[in-house]
Amino acid sequence: MSKKIARVQAGEKLFDWLLLLLSIGVLYEAYRIDGGLRLNSAGSFPVGLGLIMLASSAVILLSHRYKRRASEITTALQEAKTFLAEHFKPPIVAFTICSIVYLIAINWISFYVSTFCFLAAMFTYYRQGRVVSSLVITTITIAVIYVLFTMVFRVYLP
Amino acid sequence: MSDTVAYLLMAWLDPGLLLLTGLGVLAGIYVGAIPGLSVTMAVSILISFTFSWNINNALALMVGIYVGGVYGGSRTAILLNIPGTPAAITTAFDGYPLALKGEAGRAIGLSTVMSVIGGLIGVAVLAGTAPYLADMALEFAPRDYFLIAILGLLLVSSLSGKSLARGIFSVALGAVVGLVGMDMVTAQPRLTMGSMELLGGIHYVVIMIGLFGVAEAIYQLHNLAKIPVKQKVSKIVPPLNMVLKFLPLSVRTSIIGVVVGALPGAGGDIASLFAYDHAKRTTKNPSTPFGEGAYEGLVAPETANSAAVGGAYVPMLTLGMPGDAVTAVIIGALVIHGLNPGPMLMIETPHIFWFTVGNLALANIFLLVFGLTGIKLFSKVVEVPKAILIPLILVLCVVGTYSLNSNMTEVYWMLGFGILGYWLKVFGFQMGPIILGVILGPLLDESYRQAMSSVGNQAGDFLLGLVTNPLSLVLTSVITLVLLSNTPLKPWLIARFKRG
Amino acid sequence: MTKPVLTRLAIAVGALSIVGSAAADYPERNIQGTIQWGAGGATDNVIRSLTPHVEEILDTTIILTNRPGGTGVIGMSHVMRQRPDGYNLLFGAENPQLYPLMGLADFTYDDMHTVNIIGQGLVVIATHPNSPFDNFEELLAYANENPGELRMGGTGAGGLPSTIHAMINAVGDLDVRTVTFGGDGPGVTALLGEHIDFMPLSLSAVAEQIRGGRLKGLAVLGAEELDSLPGVPPITEALPEIESFLPWGPFWGVFVHKDTPDDIKATLEDAYEQAVASEGFQEFLVNFGGETLNLSGEEAQQYLDSWQSVTAWSMFDADAVETSPEELGIPRP
Repeated sequence: MSKKIARVQAGEKLFDWLLLLLSIGVLYEAYRIDGGLRLNSAGSFPVGLGLIMLASSAVILLSHRYKRRASEITTALQEAKTFLAEHFKPPIVAFTICSIVYLIAINWISFYVSTFCFLAAMFTYYRQGRVVSSLVITTITIAVIYVLFTMVFRVYLP
Repeated sequence: MSDTVAYLLMAWLDPGLLLLTGLGVLAGIYVGAIPGLSVTMAVSILISFTFSWNINNALALMVGIYVGGVYGGSRTAILLNIPGTPAAITTAFDGYPLALKGEAGRAIGLSTVMSVIGGLIGVAVLAGTAPYLADMALEFAPRDYFLIAILGLLLVSSLSGKSLARGIFSVALGAVVGLVGMDMVTAQPRLTMGSMELLGGIHYVVIMIGLFGVAEAIYQLHNLAKIPVKQKVSKIVPPLNMVLKFLPLSVRTSIIGVVVGALPGAGGDIASLFAYDHAKRTTKNPSTPFGEGAYEGLVAPETANSAAVGGAYVPMLTLGMPGDAVTAVIIGALVIHGLNPGPMLMIETPHIFWFTVGNLALANIFLLVFGLTGIKLFSKVVEVPKAILIPLILVLCVVGTYSLNSNMTEVYWMLGFGILGYWLKVFGFQMGPIILGVILGPLLDESYRQAMSSVGNQAGDFLLGLVTNPLSLVLTSVITLVLLSNTPLKPWLIARFKRG
Repeated sequence: MTKPVLTRLAIAVGALSIVGSAAADYPERNIQGTIQWGAGGATDNVIRSLTPHVEEILDTTIILTNRPGGTGVIGMSHVMRQRPDGYNLLFGAENPQLYPLMGLADFTYDDMHTVNIIGQGLVVIATHPNSPFDNFEELLAYANENPGELRMGGTGAGGLPSTIHAMINAVGDLDVRTVTFGGDGPGVTALLGEHIDFMPLSLSAVAEQIRGGRLKGLAVLGAEELDSLPGVPPITEALPEIESFLPWGPFWGVFVHKDTPDDIKATLEDAYEQAVASEGFQEFLVNFGGETLNLSGEEAQQYLDSWQSVTAWSMFDADAVETSPEELGIPRP
């Protein structure tokens, strides 16, 4: 990734605004604990931390005034395009979606079956369709996990 | 006297005990290396398992696992940027960059030797000063833990990279996450958004695995096709002059480790953070800049977290009070075996003390042997193609998180923190400060409220306490100095001082 | 094509689980045991020393998992969500009896089946040796003259110290600053360092400290002096009215899903009764500072009910909770 912090990245400003929103959300949740500001109670630290988050995210947003966008990005549309191209590459999107599906699947079809499917699918995809060797690696991995976790450490897996 | 020596050497001379200690160390290295599998868990499994054994055998195995496990956390920290244990988080800061440069073998070798040095210093301090150190640790009032937490939070300046505002935001975010759950005093839910699953809070290892493991895995997908760096595996054992060069630093960080480890409210994770900060502040010319593969950044946390093991045994053996989670479980083991851990343990059964000291030293020797063998094979992990490594890391993270509390919800949180961590990383936020907040936030909240309650909620009395008690005064002064040295005031002060 | 196959599979799986729950040769696989408190605590110690005896009797392995958090709510709700096949046991302490009162959850042990109430812990009010007080009466007198000055160690709302404090306040008056710690361990450490003035603690946490002269007992929560703590007076000497709440103590028990087949319940009850009575465990429990109860069935239910009623009403009378036990259907003792 680009090492020059002084140059604002595509989507950075939006992200920093989201952090500001998060800070406000935290502050609201923290305020609800006591319903007021007290020196020594359950809510005193959460409220204090919420304020620090709010202040620091405001400083981060202000710092954008001293940063410039990359010269080739001039419009918001271009920025959105660059952002999508950089962070929504097929391997990343596929990985994230598969991970979520995998975690949900564990509850339905047990840990070992879903892990097998997940690994087999990901290996095959990332290794450009070498199915047989991917399946072999998957099988070995599952065997190692079984021996290590279920047999040696007696970890109960779902 | 001869009895003491006999107990000290017992583990070294009995083949059965030798075998068990060695086995423990070896198993511990793997338990420690896998994020989520914790030494605490391994030792508590062993309690049921060793129920009918002779007490010495059971203790030998537990000591082995403890020493191996604390060290093992550095393995995955160096190789994959995923700390196996919270105490190895700082190891990843400079260990992983070394692995990226093809020096994984050298990094593991150095961390092994340094762990052993730290471990042995810890044992020596335990053997020589245990009763005094324990009394000193008791002197720390809630007010002092509060100051320690503040001092820890000041580390944000050395962990946050280029943008301090981002660092401070990250610390606060981490602390907020650390505070989620039922309030300790009033039992009311805090920041749980009405979820019952969150009443127990989010375990910090869950956050650690997500932020380091999953976030790193997704980040690595950017250069999926990149061929991994070929690892140099010829020079693994660090040369003597290198060890000697780092010896003064390692002695200092070991002392930090032992003392922090001996405090019942702080353990190896906090010790290694302080040690890293100390190294960064005192090293004028590191081998490479910190955060880019400085050997000093590897030496400090590794010595400190191993030395903290000896420290954690101090209050346990002298007072029967645990120094950390693992020693709490070992106390349980002693109880189940019919011993009475408490202040009388050293008087009535001194052999337990000397046996443990000897056994800890032995475990460190085993660590040197097992740690330095097989490095070549381990270094190859970095050379595994990304296409295989990344899906495997995710599965490892899932298993690790689940085995922590057998809770699927925590696994979802882990993935959530992973995705959040990825975006934070992309936009210039560091993972270190977040974890700093997660670890220190609850300590800060707890100790502050204890201190305030102790003085009957009088803010004035609380502030007065910070400067009137000798121990607190020392800590307050250190904090003030650190603060001054971090502000623009410093050059001005120095200039004035010189003129004056 | 896939649908009928899936349906058949589902039926097969369903059939299997029905066969599996027939209790003819229970247990035929490992049992999962959930401890609702963390590793190294009192509940954990008791359960881990009892389990090997049970494993021997049942000829199986019990895999123990600690699921701490939320005063035990998390562990208990986990076990309640599992299948009622007798392969998921809950090992817990007294806290669930107060969940509805504290507003933590709407269930108690009444929503599970009690396999065994193993035993209860004895309670001591302890202080450090430099304390000017030699018994609880002196401390009470001082506190009455200087209200809000002494520092008492606590473990949070619903914890043992807060319950004892409530009991004392229900019959007398004790106005102190409460300093809350994460558990008995950190509390004892603070007491050793003289950062607090006194703390009600379970005997198992302080017996050794008292014996080693590092701490001093002010009173035992009971009507008589204990053999294991000679010289420490019973609390009734300072507060005779508190006797109406006694005997009282934190307890440990084994529980299983309410809908578990009756023969499995019987097998478990039988096994635990034998294990708790075994010589090895008895020796441990005495050494640990506990008292055996070994109750099951009707007796266990009576014990749980009376514990709940005594504790809930004393807390209500001392204004420690807002909800009235009456609203929850808990009768006055």
